[in-house]
Amino acid sequence: MMAGVSNVTTSFSIGAAVTEPLVPNAAETMANVDAVRAALERHRYVGSSRIATVVYLAYQLRKPVLVEGPPGVGKTELAKTAARMLGLPLIRLQCYEGLDEAKALYEWKYGKQLLYIQVLKEQLDDALGGAKGLRQSVERLHEYGDIFFSEQFLEPRPLLKALREAEGSVLLIDEIDKSDEEFESLLLEMLSDYQVTIPEIGTIAASGQPPIVFLTSNNSREVSDALKRRCLHLYIPYPDAALEQQIIQAKVPEITLELRRQLVAFVQALREMDLRKAPAISETIDWARTLLLLHIDALDDDWIRETLNVLLKFQDDVDSVEAQLPYLTRRAAGG
Amino acid sequence: MERTLANFVRALRMADVRVSTAETLDAFRAAEMVGWADRQRFKDALGAVLSKSADEHAAFDACFDQFFHFDDFESGANRPATDKTDDEPLDAANGAPPAASDAAAPGEGESESQGGGGSNNREDSDGSESAESGVNQPTPTQHAPQPISAPASPLGRMLMADDRTALSMAISRAARANQLENIKVFTQQGLYTRRILDDLGRAELIDEIGTLESAGAAPDRRLAGELRGRYDRLRAQIRDHVESQFLLHADAQGERLREDMLRSARLANVSRRNDPLMRRAIERMARQLVAAHSRKRRVTKRGRLDVPRMIRRNMRHDANMIELAWQSKRIDKPKVFAICDVSGSVALYARFMLMFLYSLGDVLPQVRAFAFCSDLAEVTDLFKQHDLDEAIRRTLAEHGQGSSDYGHALADFERLALADIDRRTTVLILGDARNNEANPRTDLLRKIYDRSRRVIWLNPEPKVSWDTGDSVMGRYRAHCHQTNECGSLVQLERVVSDLLRSVR
Repeated sequence: MMAGVSNVTTSFSIGAAVTEPLVPNAAETMANVDAVRAALERHRYVGSSRIATVVYLAYQLRKPVLVEGPPGVGKTELAKTAARMLGLPLIRLQCYEGLDEAKALYEWKYGKQLLYIQVLKEQLDDALGGAKGLRQSVERLHEYGDIFFSEQFLEPRPLLKALREAEGSVLLIDEIDKSDEEFESLLLEMLSDYQVTIPEIGTIAASGQPPIVFLTSNNSREVSDALKRRCLHLYIPYPDAALEQQIIQAKVPEITLELRRQLVAFVQALREMDLRKAPAISETIDWARTLLLLHIDALDDDWIRETLNVLLKFQDDVDSVEAQLPYLTRRAAGG
Repeated sequence: MERTLANFVRALRMADVRVSTAETLDAFRAAEMVGWADRQRFKDALGAVLSKSADEHAAFDACFDQFFHFDDFESGANRPATDKTDDEPLDAANGAPPAASDAAAPGEGESESQGGGGSNNREDSDGSESAESGVNQPTPTQHAPQPISAPASPLGRMLMADDRTALSMAISRAARANQLENIKVFTQQGLYTRRILDDLGRAELIDEIGTLESAGAAPDRRLAGELRGRYDRLRAQIRDHVESQFLLHADAQGERLREDMLRSARLANVSRRNDPLMRRAIERMARQLVAAHSRKRRVTKRGRLDVPRMIRRNMRHDANMIELAWQSKRIDKPKVFAICDVSGSVALYARFMLMFLYSLGDVLPQVRAFAFCSDLAEVTDLFKQHDLDEAIRRTLAEHGQGSSDYGHALADFERLALADIDRRTTVLILGDARNNEANPRTDLLRKIYDRSRRVIWLNPEPKVSWDTGDSVMGRYRAHCHQTNECGSLVQLERVVSDLLRSVR
């Protein structure tokens, strides 16, 4: 697992365009668990073998993955990496309260419909030419079918877009726990059968390869059982020290070995404290970059105090950590 | 393999992990995909498919380790690997989940080849490599350089034939005959082991060994020694078998049984010894309720347009009203005021009710608790500051003396909290309404009734004894929306569930 906060990763993925073959062979990448793990690592996603296993299964079984874990352990990043690794487009749907099908699935292009009606007014007269009375006109119109509710007037939103990608895609439904209950139900059809139903048109199934779906949740509310049942479940915890060092190595390779060891030890110690928001991997990476930027070779109290706000996002936490700083630093340095 | 997994799923369900049939099928596919060879990987794969939350995953981990434990390899290890009957690679790799097939055999299968085959693998796989290397190396060649006489008893012949499949099948049959799957308590293990051995023909074998040992001929004595060794291993194997069966089925079942009993038992009769179990039962019930009700919901009032929103929404259509917006109403989480009589007779019930209410924190974020005997005081802060047990202990210690006076308590409540009651508030009163002949002050209850959404009176006494003696339940009853008997956890759950439903 590794960093997940977008600001970290976007800057990264632009800066370090992956050197490996740019057109990856999906079947090869996904041949077995070890290949998946190697591919993830090639794209600088360092994680436990569990993660690789689940990604492999998701691909082979074509099942969505529900990724849970504390914020900043790389849930979102996993989906992004999977997309890069497979060379598929990443389609992202950020959930929030009030998200509905008009924003997630599809919407009619009302403006275009209106415009066409205006423009086509004359043609409409032609089409209706000679019709007597309302009944006849309506019958005449019926011959043209539901032209205004055809696919040309359909504005695809992320879910529909993902279904329409012929080569397949990686669909990231981020923070599903923030959405409403109704939205979850809306997803069910999509997740189990890779199809959506639009009342005016009918059922639209995936046109090519069905998308690989990642759902992430921070557990701000319990996701419904129906949804869970359709997904593979992956829980990403905070990494242990060894894994976190590997992650830092992959993400911030310029940093010295000793500093890396120290800062990981420091962060691991912080996680044991009773904080409102323990620093996640994304914060560790930010911090490593900060230290690198400031040309710091070894941790000392002053520098930590200066840069603590990179790691901790609440003043309460900063205060309580500062109180124990000498002890923590010594531990990290000695460790 | 299917059988093994199916049994594992059954064990998981026992351990409170909900697994659907579809998920079981997925588990088969996943297992096929990753193979059995790498235990960790196999576990990861099954874990991803079968467990759906962090809690369930913890249960899964424990269950997996217990189910696919490796001790059995040891007992197999001291026997050389025998000829393998399976030649499919898949089955050859079957070494990973051995205990499972072993456990599976008796309870289940008429299908002999399945159960037997599984157990067979169990024996010869002390790690899959050795299973591979042991292919086609029949034991007898290693074991019988010297002449040895043939045993006479059936069990002896079976042991000497070293036909593991037959042996395992025999064990399964014997276990089935003795209904091992019905094992209930720990102490029955020895009994079942003995019965299975008897069924296999223990007596005859022991007799034979005795005769052989007393006989002078060397081949006979060798046979006796060999038989004794094999008999001991057989006994160990059966004991393991019985134990794993017990752990998988009876242990969880027994706990579930006890829990079910506790649920419907009258709370007053539940001894303190069962407290941890009660806690678990309450937590489990609370979890179910939370899952059923933790939905923030909106009701759309069909037929009433939300004009401002509609205008805003239709601006882009040149204010042509194309999209309609309906008025909707968010459903609030209920506010609950719990008033508990904590005098001697009812204290126990108060304890469990408060425990229950506060376990529901997710769906009932706003619970205010009041405790009284005669003087009423708010104890909400105690529950905020301390953990559940401590808070309840303190509540009972601070407020639990004296005889109850409902009139007085209601007067206190009016002073403390009546102003805070609004149309969203449900007032739960827990008490036996035994007012010790004091003024019941039903007028105050009426006031509460008028202001609140619901007043629910929970009386731990059985309905027949309401209004007997100094109980004034009948008078209070007129000023409640609902009165319930709540003597057991099940009744309590029903009330709370109703409460959650009706408020929404």
